[in-house]
Amino acid sequence: MPAEAAMAGTVAAVPPLAMTGIGKHFPGVIALDNVDLTLEAGKVHALMGENGAGKSTLIKILAGVYGKDAGTIRIAGRETTLSGPADALRQGIKVVFQEIALISEFTVAENIFLEEYPTGRTGSIDWRKISRDAKALFERIGFDVDTSARTGTLPISQQQMVEIARALAQEARIVVMDEPTSSLTPNEVALLFTVIRRLTSLGIAVIYVSHKLDEVFEIADTVTVLRDGRHISTKPIADHTNETLIQDMIGRQIDDLFPRSRGQASDKVALSVKGVGTEKLEDISFEVYSGEVLGFFGLMGAGRTELAKAIVGFDPIDSGTIAVGGKPLRPHDTRTAVSLGIGLLTEDRKGEGLMLELPVVYNLSLAALGSFARGGFIDERREREAAQSYVDRFRIRTPGLYQEIKNLSGGNQQKVLLARWLLKGLSVIVVDEPTRGIDVGAKSEIFALIDQLAADGHAIIMMTSEMPELLGLSDRIMVMGEGRITGSFSRDEATQEKILNAAIV
Amino acid sequence: MALTKMVTEVSSPPTSGSLVGALASNGQIVLVAALVIICVGISLVVPQFYSGANIIAILRQVALVLIVACGMTMLLITAEVDLSVGASLAFVGVVAMDVINLTDSVFLGAVAGIAFGAFVGLVNGVVVTRLKVNSLIATIGTMMILQGGVFLYTREAIQNHHHIASFVDIGAGYVGPVPIPVIIAAIIFVASYVVLRHTTLGRYLYAVGANEKTARLSGLRSTRLKLFAFVLTGALVGVAGLILGSLMNAGQPTAGRGFELTVIAAVILGGTSLSGGRGTLIGTLLGVFILKIIDNGIIILQWNQDLQMIVPGVVLILAIYLDILRRRADAR
Repeated sequence: MPAEAAMAGTVAAVPPLAMTGIGKHFPGVIALDNVDLTLEAGKVHALMGENGAGKSTLIKILAGVYGKDAGTIRIAGRETTLSGPADALRQGIKVVFQEIALISEFTVAENIFLEEYPTGRTGSIDWRKISRDAKALFERIGFDVDTSARTGTLPISQQQMVEIARALAQEARIVVMDEPTSSLTPNEVALLFTVIRRLTSLGIAVIYVSHKLDEVFEIADTVTVLRDGRHISTKPIADHTNETLIQDMIGRQIDDLFPRSRGQASDKVALSVKGVGTEKLEDISFEVYSGEVLGFFGLMGAGRTELAKAIVGFDPIDSGTIAVGGKPLRPHDTRTAVSLGIGLLTEDRKGEGLMLELPVVYNLSLAALGSFARGGFIDERREREAAQSYVDRFRIRTPGLYQEIKNLSGGNQQKVLLARWLLKGLSVIVVDEPTRGIDVGAKSEIFALIDQLAADGHAIIMMTSEMPELLGLSDRIMVMGEGRITGSFSRDEATQEKILNAAIV
Repeated sequence: MALTKMVTEVSSPPTSGSLVGALASNGQIVLVAALVIICVGISLVVPQFYSGANIIAILRQVALVLIVACGMTMLLITAEVDLSVGASLAFVGVVAMDVINLTDSVFLGAVAGIAFGAFVGLVNGVVVTRLKVNSLIATIGTMMILQGGVFLYTREAIQNHHHIASFVDIGAGYVGPVPIPVIIAAIIFVASYVVLRHTTLGRYLYAVGANEKTARLSGLRSTRLKLFAFVLTGALVGVAGLILGSLMNAGQPTAGRGFELTVIAAVILGGTSLSGGRGTLIGTLLGVFILKIIDNGIIILQWNQDLQMIVPGVVLILAIYLDILRRRADAR
C-alpha cells in the first residue's frame, strides 16, 4: 500500500494508535482503569509493569481477544472498535503472543499466508507464489529461514520471526510483541532486536511488552508503566534510570517490599543435593540450611523448574543423590519425598497445584489429610478447624471454606497452596516463581510469608526469574544456565550485574 | 458491600460440610424434580405403575445397573472410564456358570465370576496407567477382545446343567418381600457412598480426577488410585454378571449388549463429570432410577419398545445441556 506508506511519512502527527481512558473489569478485579497509550509510527514503545499490572489485558484488548469496558481506541485518527482477533488484524494490529500461534504441522510459507492463500486462475492455491512471497518477506525483515521447513521443527526464536513475517504479509501497521525474549538466548535476542529495528524503519509502530529493564533500555524509544491496572507514567526512555523505572513499576522502594524479620540461618543442613543429573540438568550440587532462603536465578530454559521437579521426586533423575534431613530420597517418588518433608509450590498453579472445582478446604488439607483420619475415616471437624486456622493466619480471603477454589484470586490461591504444605509440616519447601500471576498487594504478603517461614526454621528454595524478588528475599543465590550451576553468591556480594553475567552462558 | 458479603456467605454451601453442600449442587434438585414428574406422568396414564409387582420389577432393574454404576462413578471421578463393562458382564456369567457346572459349587462359581470381572478391571487399569493408553480407547479394545473371546469360549449359552437352585436365588430370590439383588445393590451403594464421602480413599479419588499432577505432587499414588477404581468397577461387574446369569439361569454370551452405555449414561445424568473430580453417588442413584423408570414406563404404557433406547438418549443430551447452562450461570 504505497498510499498509506506515504501518509505515514507526511502526516506524522496522527498517531497510528491512540488508546484513551481504557477500562476493563473482571469479576472481582479491576484489570484496567483509565489507561492511555499512544504510539508513534516507526518507534518502539515499551509497556512495562509487574505481573498483574494489566499489560496482558491491555494487549488482549488490542488483539481483539477482550472487549473494553470503557475508553476509546483510535487507529490512524479514526475511532474504532476491535470486535475480534480477525477484526484487529484487518485493522492492522498484529500481536505476537508468547505462546506462538502457528500451525506446527504446516510449513513456514503455509503459515505466513494462512489467512488468505493466493490462488491461480483455476482457483487452486498457487504454491509457487506462496513460497516466493514468503522468501521475499523474510528478506525484508533481514532474516533467513527455510520457508519449506515444517514450522514445529523450528526453534521458538525462528517461529517468532515467522510471526513477524506474517505481520508484514498481513500489512500490519502496529506490531505488539508480548514478552518476546522470555525463551530466547542472548544471541537470539540480539537478532530479534535487529529485526525490530527493521520493522520500525518500515514505519511500523512496535509495542514491546516486557519487565526486563536492560532490554527496554536498549530497544525502546518511549516507556509506559502500568501498575495495578493503572497508568503510572509515559516518558522517553532517556528520562529514566534503572531506579526510576523500578520505582514506577513497584511503587515503592525495594526494601519496603521485602520485610526481613529473620535472623541468621542455622547450620543444620535441611536438604543436600549431590551430583544430580537428568536429561536437562548436569551435575547439580548444593545444600540448604534450616531457616534459610536459597534463591535460584536463571533465564528461561536454564533448568530451574526441572531442578525443582527433580528434587521433589516428581521427575526422574539419571544420577546423583538427594537427602532431606540426612535421609536419602527415592528418586521419582513424591510420596516418600513428602513424607520426609520436602514439597513443591509449583509455578503452574492451575496445571499442577489447584484442584479448581474442589472446595478451599479440600485443596488445603490434601497433603495432610491422613493426619485427620482414623482407620481411613476423615474427621471433618478437625480438618475444618485446621484449615480455618490457616485461613485466618494467612488472611486468605474466601467467602467460606467450601467455596470452589477457582473463585479465589491468584494471591489467595497461592496462600492456600502454601498452607497445604505447612499443614503437612514440611521442613523444605521448594517455591517456583512464587508470585507469578499475583497482584502487587498479595505479592508483598507472599514475601512476608516466605520470610516468616524461614524465620520459623523452614528451609526455602526459591526459583525465580524476578530480579527484585531474588535480591530482596534470598540469603544466598545460585545462578543456573543451560542446566548447570554457573554462579553462587552470598546476599552481600550479589548484584544484578554479577547475577546476569553468570546467567548468560 | 457488607450485606452482599453476608448474602453470599449464606447462599454458599453449608458449613456443616455436608455432601450436598460441598460437591453436589442444585443439579440434583432438578433430577429429583424430573424423577417426580416422570413418575406422576406415567401413573396418571397407568395407575398400576405403583403396584407392588411393578415397583419390585423396577427395583430389580435398578439394582443391576446401580451395582456397576457405583464403581463407574468412582472411575469417572478419577477421570477414567470403562466401556468394557457390558462385554465383561456376559463373560462373567459364562465363566461363573461353567465353574458351577464343573464344581457343583455356587460359591466357587461366584468367586470365579467376581475374580474374572476384577481381572478384566485390572487389565484395563494396567493398560491405562502403565501403557498410558487413553481409557476410552483402551476399554473399547478390551470390550472387543471380550466380545470375541466369549464366543471363542462358548458358541452357545451355558445352562445350569445340575439345576442348582441356590444359583437361581442370587437373582430371583427374596428376603421377605425384597429381592436379593436389591439388597446386594443397597449394600454396595451404601458402602461406596461411605468410602467416597467419608474416607481418605474417597477424597483421594476426587483429587486424582480433579488434577492428577496436584495429587502426585501432594504425595498421592495416583496410578494405584486409578487402578483401584478400575479393579473395583471390574469386581462389581462380576457381581452384576452373577445376578444376570442367575436371572437367566444360564451363562449367555450375548447378554449385556449396550449395558455399558446405560451405566455410563446414568452416572453422567447424575452429574458426574467425564473430565473427573466431580460427581456423587446420590446423583448416580437418581440417574439410574430416572433411566430405569423411563424404561419401565415405555413398557407399561405399551409404547414402541424401540423408544427404550431413543428416549434415554434424548434425556441424556438434555440433562447434560441443562448442566452446562447451570454451570455457566454459576460462573457468572
